[in-house]
Amino acid sequence: MPRELMRTAQSTDLLERPEQIAPDTTGDPLGETPADLELTSFDNPRESAFGYTCRSLAELRNIKFALASFVINNLRRRYRRSVLGFAWSLLNPLLTMAVMTAVFSLLWHSNPKTFGVYVFTGLLPWTYITDSIMSGSQSLVQSEAFLKKVYIPKSFFPLVAVSTETANFVFSLASLMVLACIVGVKMQWTVVLVPAAVALLFLFNFSVTLILAIATVYFRDLTHIIKVVLSTVFYLVPIIYSLEMVPEKYRVLFLLNPIFYFIDLFRALIYVGTVPDLVRWAIPCLITAVTLTVAFYTLMKTDKDLIYRL
Amino acid sequence: MPQNIHIQNASLKFRIYRNRAPALKEAVIGMLTGKRDKDAVTEFDALKKINLTIRAGDRLGVIGLNGAGKSTMLKMIVGIYPPHQGRVVVQGKITPLIELGTGFDFELSGRENIYLNGALLGRSYQQMRQLESKIIEFSELAEFIDLPIKYYSSGMHGRLAFSIGTIVEPEILLVDEIFATGDAHFVEKATDRMRHLFNSSGITLLVSHNLNQIVDLCNRVIVLHKGEIVGDGPPDVMVNYYVNDVAHLLRPAAAVTPPVEPQLILK
Repeated sequence: MPRELMRTAQSTDLLERPEQIAPDTTGDPLGETPADLELTSFDNPRESAFGYTCRSLAELRNIKFALASFVINNLRRRYRRSVLGFAWSLLNPLLTMAVMTAVFSLLWHSNPKTFGVYVFTGLLPWTYITDSIMSGSQSLVQSEAFLKKVYIPKSFFPLVAVSTETANFVFSLASLMVLACIVGVKMQWTVVLVPAAVALLFLFNFSVTLILAIATVYFRDLTHIIKVVLSTVFYLVPIIYSLEMVPEKYRVLFLLNPIFYFIDLFRALIYVGTVPDLVRWAIPCLITAVTLTVAFYTLMKTDKDLIYRL
Repeated sequence: MPQNIHIQNASLKFRIYRNRAPALKEAVIGMLTGKRDKDAVTEFDALKKINLTIRAGDRLGVIGLNGAGKSTMLKMIVGIYPPHQGRVVVQGKITPLIELGTGFDFELSGRENIYLNGALLGRSYQQMRQLESKIIEFSELAEFIDLPIKYYSSGMHGRLAFSIGTIVEPEILLVDEIFATGDAHFVEKATDRMRHLFNSSGITLLVSHNLNQIVDLCNRVIVLHKGEIVGDGPPDVMVNYYVNDVAHLLRPAAAVTPPVEPQLILK
């Protein structure tokens, strides 16, 4: 039918119009463009990885207000219509910790109070990581309706998911500090370094979530696999026990787990109260650098294809 | 600053998954055996070698049958669908009115949704602060603006969406079959607003099945058929061509009388 149509079309007067304006079409549009014009090209094969990363970050910066709105709305929705509202984000972890500490003090007899703090310095970063991954890895698939109606950088929705969890994590950490003071764990000045650790873990979480979100677009089964893997990994992280309690021959399994190093960092800062040595900072930094690189490389390679796979 | 849109030799295809998205298992098996299940995916050329230059002052109407690629072309210009071949160069800020109320959160109040929706349209917080009162005024929702929009009627919902989408005079306006809902009074107001936007924006692209509207508002029209541009010229000529040579391919009997189109706001 199109062939037939084309022939009909060509035989009429009308179709000579495109040829009349043809010189316009072929003229190089860029030749007459001043350099400072806002130029958006979606087909630029020569763009370098660095250029791509810069452009992605600039795009994200342009819609930082949308990012903030989404995160605040996510948080607000959680506590909408509740009497205590935002106070729940502080109360909730506090109450959970109080209950857990009470249970631990019945089960373990030695130093139960500080043991509760020990557990939570590990459990909170762990919850932060798993919550980010669980909600963030589905974020691209779930926001199909958005992505097909407005132009939004693909990293936007994973970033929203991780940022929301970051806010919760910060609230929980604050509650933990309060609890630690109450039960009498002496906190050292090292807690001032906690924001640096949070920032590092945020970058790690964002990059891992971004990779998994992209992968989930291609392999929807990952949603279920991630769930199983995360619940398995939980036992490979020294959260309710310490690394020293693990038989020596299995210890290497724990040391291969990247999440261990982040939890170790938080524990050193809040529970132990020592300034972590350089190696303790270097390992998570290195891990984060690797995951970030992989994340942006994956995004660059799939950016133009993702929308067609949703 | 003059606005320009250049589409050079752009092609775009969709993949249609017959049953479901490829599962991990199949991908792994495919990688191991070197075979791919070709039947599971059908490719569909949505746009074929589109060449189009739109300059400042163009009010371009896009007409074609359902599935001709009109909306896809609009979304390609916005950047939602990057072309598989060729390139799209856009100079100027695009305001897409492809679907009103994108991203409305029904739990949030009308006011909160103004900010959220504006943010998705690429506006800053400061800009929205300035526009907020104008949007509320135009939508005539002042007494309901702090209610969650789940309590809004569909007419109120549509009024809010339209007011947010059309508050700023755009550099490049892309419109896909937009029509305002609400009472006669609001529809009339909205019609004036749209007419004003059409005349004030640098470039307008209008996708519509309402041929009267196209002739009335546009100064240039292209006809799309199965992903190709088969006509480009003045509105009256192109609409005639479309009615006589394209539309009748679908229903030969209708070629004698022009098809009756639903009445949209901008008649």
